[in-house]
Amino acid sequence: MTPALLGNLGVSLALAFSLLGLALALLAYLQGEGRLLKGARALVLPAFLAALTAFLALEWALLTHDFTLAYVAAHHTTKDPLWVTLVTPWAALEGSILLWGLLQTFYTLLASRRLPDPWRSSLILAVLFGIQVFFFGVMATAASPFETLPNPPPDGMGPNPLLQNHWMMAVHPVLMYLGFVGFSVPFAYAVAAMATRRYQAWVGETRWWALIAWGFLTAGKVAGGWWSYEVLGWGGYWAWDPVENASFIPWLLATAFLHTAYVQETRGAFKVWNFAFVTLAFSATLLGTFLTRSGVIQSVHAFAEGPVGPIFLGGFLASLFLGLGLLYRVSREVRDAAVFRPLSREGALLLGAFFFAGWALVVLLGTLYPLLVEAVSGAKVSVGAPFFNQISAPIGVGILLLMGVGPILPWRRPRPEVFRNLYLLLAGLLLGTLFGLLRGYTLGASLAVGLFLYNALAVGLLFREGFLARKAAGLNPWGFLENRRRVGSLLVHFGVALMGLAIAFSQAYRLEAEKTLYKGQSWPVAGLTLTFQGVRALDEGRRFAVEALLRTDRFGEVRPRLHFYPQMQSPLPSPKVVYTLKDDYYFVLMDFDREKGEWASIRLILTPMVLWLWVGGGLMALGTLYILWPAGRRAEVGEVKAA
Amino acid sequence: MRLFLLVLLFWAGALAQETAPPPDLSPEVFQIARALRCPVCQGESAAESNSGVAVEMRRLIAEMLQEGKSPEEIKAFFVERYGDWILYEPPRRGLTLWAWVLPLVALLLLGLGLFAYFRPRPLPKELLEEAERRMKEPPA
Repeated sequence: MTPALLGNLGVSLALAFSLLGLALALLAYLQGEGRLLKGARALVLPAFLAALTAFLALEWALLTHDFTLAYVAAHHTTKDPLWVTLVTPWAALEGSILLWGLLQTFYTLLASRRLPDPWRSSLILAVLFGIQVFFFGVMATAASPFETLPNPPPDGMGPNPLLQNHWMMAVHPVLMYLGFVGFSVPFAYAVAAMATRRYQAWVGETRWWALIAWGFLTAGKVAGGWWSYEVLGWGGYWAWDPVENASFIPWLLATAFLHTAYVQETRGAFKVWNFAFVTLAFSATLLGTFLTRSGVIQSVHAFAEGPVGPIFLGGFLASLFLGLGLLYRVSREVRDAAVFRPLSREGALLLGAFFFAGWALVVLLGTLYPLLVEAVSGAKVSVGAPFFNQISAPIGVGILLLMGVGPILPWRRPRPEVFRNLYLLLAGLLLGTLFGLLRGYTLGASLAVGLFLYNALAVGLLFREGFLARKAAGLNPWGFLENRRRVGSLLVHFGVALMGLAIAFSQAYRLEAEKTLYKGQSWPVAGLTLTFQGVRALDEGRRFAVEALLRTDRFGEVRPRLHFYPQMQSPLPSPKVVYTLKDDYYFVLMDFDREKGEWASIRLILTPMVLWLWVGGGLMALGTLYILWPAGRRAEVGEVKAA
Repeated sequence: MRLFLLVLLFWAGALAQETAPPPDLSPEVFQIARALRCPVCQGESAAESNSGVAVEMRRLIAEMLQEGKSPEEIKAFFVERYGDWILYEPPRRGLTLWAWVLPLVALLLLGLGLFAYFRPRPLPKELLEEAERRMKEPPA
């Protein structure tokens, strides 16, 4: 038994079980036959075990340095430390798809444990099995992680050095895939709901799924930003790179879905929007993979290019066609009969969802525009960060405005006493903006201060009202914290407001300078003084490092490095970041005197408030966790389980 | 010397280094470079990239600034060499005007759709008349 054999066996079995499950589930639906549904359900676990076997086979191949596998030869080397070896399965395309497929089988397994009525169950399983067929089909044909080499090399290339420069890279892809895959379950439920014409229950049933997936996506995006900041050495966390955009679009659509789903769950409205948003969010995950893996858009992430691009485009179109086609068929039945006011909670939620969806559309257009122009006229154009920043700023302001108002507005129509709160918020917004302007901040940064104050006020007001309402009813005011959905979502909103502030300031006030320093030379820059004391070389086996010794008057010694990897043409900077509450100081070693080590070229980047970006992201994750915390579910449902 | 040898051993791409160390770059250089694309990279600006071309671009920008050229003149210099493609902010004219117009049109359409959705829809005329007639009738 070799890893290649075991892996191929796992992939083939996972594909076979998924195909069989798909056939049985569809038959069960068409025949109305419960035994067939039982059979389909029985195949969920074997498919998962087969996928797990394939994944473990890849790990086995990596740990035993089995260079007969093309994937291992291309992305692994005997010099890799253990943790790098363990995360190498998702260092490149084929392994990533295997991980994606494995997670999909795992989610299918979890989803199959609690299924609704047989009619919908068979369709839900059919959709999930269908997605599995797609992924394992890709692995069995276009992108197999278990391709073997006729002449195995004695040692492999090792993973892309960018990926082994920081432990975050072990986490970021897994979080992203957990998020992407998570939306398959609400999507499957939505398809089943439309096919069986039962439009209401699915939103409540998949609420946890959507929230868990969204939480993972959010954590994944923040982790990716942090990785970019700490590793790439350019001092930024977001570049509007096509690959970042490709994963931002599903996040935006998922966020839109969460907000309209909440309305359907509590009020039964917005069915159309939910079917549309969940389809778009799920399809967008496949579209993103197409954009990033087909090489149609050249970007820093385009490590791997293969025949998988067109397949993913097909998958994207298929899921879009399935969801929107069904929606078109039932559109007359899911229309909202009631009339909504913009100045109500459902109105604010829908407006907010549209801001998110509109943002997704704009990002998609900007990302595809160079492609379209090139396809039509052959001309090359660039649409980059300046464009996206200008287009996104007003949308972001709109979202931040709605975020404060939405939770304060009551359902259906505003009561007069609500207006007092709205005026209070408005006063906060104006005061904060004025304060910023008086401090001499730019208009954008001042507005960000105003918006932060406004949102903080809104969160404070809602907490106060929650406590007071309980007190008035003679209950323990701290019981308000039991209302997990309310409290958790306010925590998430506060995190977003904090991030908005951090983004505005870090974009508006970034100082970047570079200087060549000779030994002993000092450089007064950005409120501190650097003294260069020399360079030092270190041999670390898989790579070779050169670090500059810098003495600073505020943070002691700082040692930014350059890493030289044998498989890379140019060295990779490994910057040193000094986080402070107000500003981040970011030191990069750009170049050094290779003959005598007499001089070094140092770049210093000062960015304000970046630390708060990670704090805000952490709050978003915490808020999501708070909503999901199991005790809250029982308390909210208030069910007494029949013994 | 040992350092140099080691680097050569480990790094095949260690090309002969020019003896002159890189020039100093002021914050203004980076502001201009961030608006320009690195011509040989994938999705990186001339400020971020460490490719030879980007390093050279930064050096050129620094030189031109010292000669007293304005940021616009410097960008124009690069556009002359590479075309509008070098600019990360698509110019609002010609081909790339649509890059700005399309999203606005899309957002406008979305907004109109929403507006229609929120607009109170009155009851159809015949239903209204029916309702009024019933209200006037004495209860049976």
